[in-house]
Amino acid sequence: MKGIVFTEFLELVEAKFGLEVVDKIITAANLPSGGAYTAIGTYDFAEMLSLLTHLSSHTNIAINDLLLVYGEHFFSVLASSYPQLIDKYENPIALLSSIENHIHVEVRKIYPDAELPTFEIVEKAEDSLIMLYKSSRAMSSFGLGLMNKTFAHYNTNAKILLEHLKEDGTEVKFSITKN
Amino acid sequence: MTRINPEILQRALLREKAARKQAEKILEDKSKELYLITEQLRKANKKLQSGLTEKTTELQGVFDNLVDAYVLMNLKGDIINLNEAAKELFGYDVSEEKINVIQLIYKDDFEYAINSFKLLISKGFFSDYIARVNTKNKGIRWVHINASIIKNSNQKPIGAQGIVKDITNQRAIEAQNKKLLHDLEKSNEELGEYAHIVSHDLKSPLRSINALINWLREDYESVLDDSGLKNISLIEQTLEKMEHLINGILNYSSINNTDLKNTDVDINSVLQDIINTIYIPNHITVTSLQRLPTVKGDKTRIQQLFQNIISNAVNYIDKETGTVSVSFQENQSHYIFEIKDNGIGIEKEHFDKIFKIFQSLGNNKNSTGIGLSIVKKIVEAYEGEIWLKSEPKVGTSFFFSLKK
Repeated sequence: MKGIVFTEFLELVEAKFGLEVVDKIITAANLPSGGAYTAIGTYDFAEMLSLLTHLSSHTNIAINDLLLVYGEHFFSVLASSYPQLIDKYENPIALLSSIENHIHVEVRKIYPDAELPTFEIVEKAEDSLIMLYKSSRAMSSFGLGLMNKTFAHYNTNAKILLEHLKEDGTEVKFSITKN
Repeated sequence: MTRINPEILQRALLREKAARKQAEKILEDKSKELYLITEQLRKANKKLQSGLTEKTTELQGVFDNLVDAYVLMNLKGDIINLNEAAKELFGYDVSEEKINVIQLIYKDDFEYAINSFKLLISKGFFSDYIARVNTKNKGIRWVHINASIIKNSNQKPIGAQGIVKDITNQRAIEAQNKKLLHDLEKSNEELGEYAHIVSHDLKSPLRSINALINWLREDYESVLDDSGLKNISLIEQTLEKMEHLINGILNYSSINNTDLKNTDVDINSVLQDIINTIYIPNHITVTSLQRLPTVKGDKTRIQQLFQNIISNAVNYIDKETGTVSVSFQENQSHYIFEIKDNGIGIEKEHFDKIFKIFQSLGNNKNSTGIGLSIVKKIVEAYEGEIWLKSEPKVGTSFFFSLKK
């Protein structure tokens, strides 16, 4: 998993819960990296899972809720790093439906070793989109957070329904309807 | 603000340091990688550069050494470059004055030029454009042009190039040749007609002499002694020979490859006709060794061809049993016939002479010396050749080819 996901995560934890909580979950998680992350590095996804688990037990917030908030935060990271990528799309539906065939293609050019989820388009209309999320990471809530902020970026909002096609969350159907 | 435990801060600091070192290591590795890639690129670039220089030099060499004029222009028709031959032909130097291709087109060829230019744009090239151009010092010249569009790396047309050949002199020579050929044809025709008329005119007094001699013999047979009668006989023989000669000339002059008929001629039936027509003594046989082909040609001429050779062969046989045989072979373009006899043979030194008109080797009363020259003329009219092999006292083989 790309280092930026870890560094942004820890910064968000620090901002929301303070440095002590950061210190606590890192110490408790007993990570191979020792919790020292750089945005340009690559780290084992298990470390992220461990950090999330410890944060969840410390704060009593469900992992999916934590991921949702983190996803919403991460959109702003992407928006400030790659504004030209986002400006290319006229509306949020266009952007979301291009993840698989355009955005991830560009990501792979910069990070050939990136392990990306797939977002298969099941149905697309002007104001609605049904996509199938597939990833062994089971981080659909993170995706939901990104999507929420995508709509906010275009000054609209949408109703997004998540339906777990597999219990472990590795396959999730997103039904998006623009309000 | 609550005070943070210094140990926590220290650990955070240690993590930050470790992260920085990781980042530095990653960046170090990346810059090494970048350096290596840059080196590779530099090498590749150098190679490309030297390849390009090589190609450019080659092209420059072609440009400079091209015998024909080379004209390079942009899509508006402004001439960008001319090689030495082009400067010489058109008389312009683009480094000194601006020239557009329109200025070079001769006014009467304008429409043709515009149509060719359209073709160049739509198809990317035109070839065999033949028209006149205006030149600075040489007046109006006829040129032949092949041109093509030059494209950039995005396949977008950026200009055109043309190879221009000055064909003014060539055209003049061609016109001259055409006239010469025409004149030659005409004089040949006249010559043929002349021979025809002369032969005809000669025949009529010949017939009168013949009649007069006959009367002489009839009226004075009782008066004349043996020697007188013998001389009259000799006059008659000579007259006969002279008639053969005139007929031969008549025949020869009427063979003209322009009026040859082109029908299927079965050589087997031609041979049979000849055997039935000419006198063949009993001790001589004329046969074909195989089934003979059917050729395209004029039946009378083909028969004349075979008949002349065969009757020559028959006339010159000195053996007790004479044989004349006809056979053939073929290649892709020609049939090659062989007419073989076991006659007296021909000395090698006479091989060329026998085909010339009025050349007869023996004193055979039927020989006028025209036969083989007619044969040669017919063979040549059918784009063939004639030759022979012979052994004196053993026999002769005549070979000739006829185009299929």
